[in-house]
Amino acid sequence: MDLHEEKVGGVTVVEVTGRIDSSTAPALGERLSANLEAPKVRVVLDLGRLEYISSAGFRILLLAAKRADECGSRLVLCGVAGKVRQLFDLGGFLDLFTIVGAREEGIAAAQ
Amino acid sequence: MIEITIVNQGSELARVAGLLDRLGAERHLAPEIVADMQVAMDEVLTNITKYAYGDKAEHKIHICLRVLDNVLEAVIEDGGAPFDPLAISAPAVSAPLHQRRVGGIGIHFVRNLLDEVTYTRIGGRNRLVLRKRFKT
Repeated sequence: MDLHEEKVGGVTVVEVTGRIDSSTAPALGERLSANLEAPKVRVVLDLGRLEYISSAGFRILLLAAKRADECGSRLVLCGVAGKVRQLFDLGGFLDLFTIVGAREEGIAAAQ
Repeated sequence: MIEITIVNQGSELARVAGLLDRLGAERHLAPEIVADMQVAMDEVLTNITKYAYGDKAEHKIHICLRVLDNVLEAVIEDGGAPFDPLAISAPAVSAPLHQRRVGGIGIHFVRNLLDEVTYTRIGGRNRLVLRKRFKT
């Protein structure tokens, strides 16, 4: 898994490439925690280059979404397609997150 | 066929994922087929490393990966506490965010992503056979 982070306006975009599994999920958790540490922040998580995600990854995403909720922050997911979308659907996670299509929509939705 | 013996530590899982990738590449399997098995293996091996042993000692987990005709198969054997993943009831996948627990989702993935999951307890060991069919 590789994480690439950039700022677009007041929004932090974190792009994940590769896999989120039990080996890589902790690093994603640390990155999201660091970004969601301050209140009222806006984060877009771009999963367009993600190959797959296991329950260890969903645990991290749920924690991040709860934290964002509690701190008045916004966490928006984009690029959820193919195999990754199937896994979100199978786990019943599609309705739990704010999910949009492309990254530009994510940045707009986060603002 | 690829055989590997790992110990019950989370850091071993990346090694298994690498071997499964190698087998998939050698046999020209579709990425989605390998991905389904990768997710299932991650769930099963995480469960074993976290819950199968009550002590802090190192324990061996034996894994065998192979491709037979139109099936990708993984056999996982451990000497930990008896655990039949098929006996766990399906999780509540429709609960709202604040009530959601990820527990149980891993097993739900294993059962739904694969075509066949067989559990047997033989000679004090758990033996789990995971099969993913693919079109040739």
